Amino acid sequence: MLGATGATLAQPADDRLLPADQHTSDKARTLAQRHVRGLRALNAGIYHCIPWVEVRQHSIGFFRPRGVTQDDRFLAIRLYIEQDTSPEFGKLSLEDRASAMFSRYVGAMLRRMNAADATLISDPLLDGYSVVLEWRKQGARGSSGDRPIHETIAAFMPKSLVADFLAGRLPVGTLADTARVLAWDGERAIGQLRVTAWDDNFVSTFKVANYQLDPGISCG
Amino acid sequence: MSSHRLSVLLLGGVLLAATGCATGEEWATWKSHGAHFASAKHMGFSLRNTEGGTPRVTRTDVALARDEAWWGKPITVGQEQILER
Repeated sequence: MLGATGATLAQPADDRLLPADQHTSDKARTLAQRHVRGLRALNAGIYHCIPWVEVRQHSIGFFRPRGVTQDDRFLAIRLYIEQDTSPEFGKLSLEDRASAMFSRYVGAMLRRMNAADATLISDPLLDGYSVVLEWRKQGARGSSGDRPIHETIAAFMPKSLVADFLAGRLPVGTLADTARVLAWDGERAIGQLRVTAWDDNFVSTFKVANYQLDPGISCG
Repeated sequence: MSSHRLSVLLLGGVLLAATGCATGEEWATWKSHGAHFASAKHMGFSLRNTEGGTPRVTRTDVALARDEAWWGKPITVGQEQILER
């Protein structure tokens, strides 16, 4: 996904990764230590090759889905997606916006997570994957009028499901049908959403106009 | 149920259908929307910095343009509401 040659490269902020010692269980700390190189590669790949998204601080790590009582550990990432104002997108229902964003980014992120570290999927300590996506809600401002509101979805998928998806045995539509997807409107929890998904190659085909990769960087 | 109440319900259903569902045209437009990025601002930035030369945008330019176009601290869900460390 990302190739680099030469010594002088612009680097993404290292604080996108949750440090191993800030995970709260031995299992999570072990995962974080074992896969730190892959997670750094994941962060760097997104930074250089998908510059219109921003990885949130301390959002790459081995987290436990909130409310789960046992120590299930999911490799998670949280992205803010910057996009033009689109009347068509704004008119969609929340379910349809969530479906569109799931289609566009979840599969692409799962592929990147595993391309960055091929040993990840076979790690017996890993239980699943989570991709959290947020975007600006068009035309909406907070009560004081000066703060934008974000919509957020969090997709949780067990490892076995992701393995089937990555191996081509499971279409993205079935992945979406089976994933647990939660949504928020600003800070307000919406609850579980049912999303539909389709193949969308936007992430691998869209190019920012006149964007020039830093010397020594290539995106496959 | 009176005919008046029935009419109100029917009208409400029609309005809900009209506003809550994406038309095929809306979907097609969004899906094919190539300029799915705050490209205008970034393009302006790149042109300012490459006057007379080949326009180009580096990763650093993107970060600077994003800072310039900062919309304010967003209202969004805290990560601790989604994931536990």
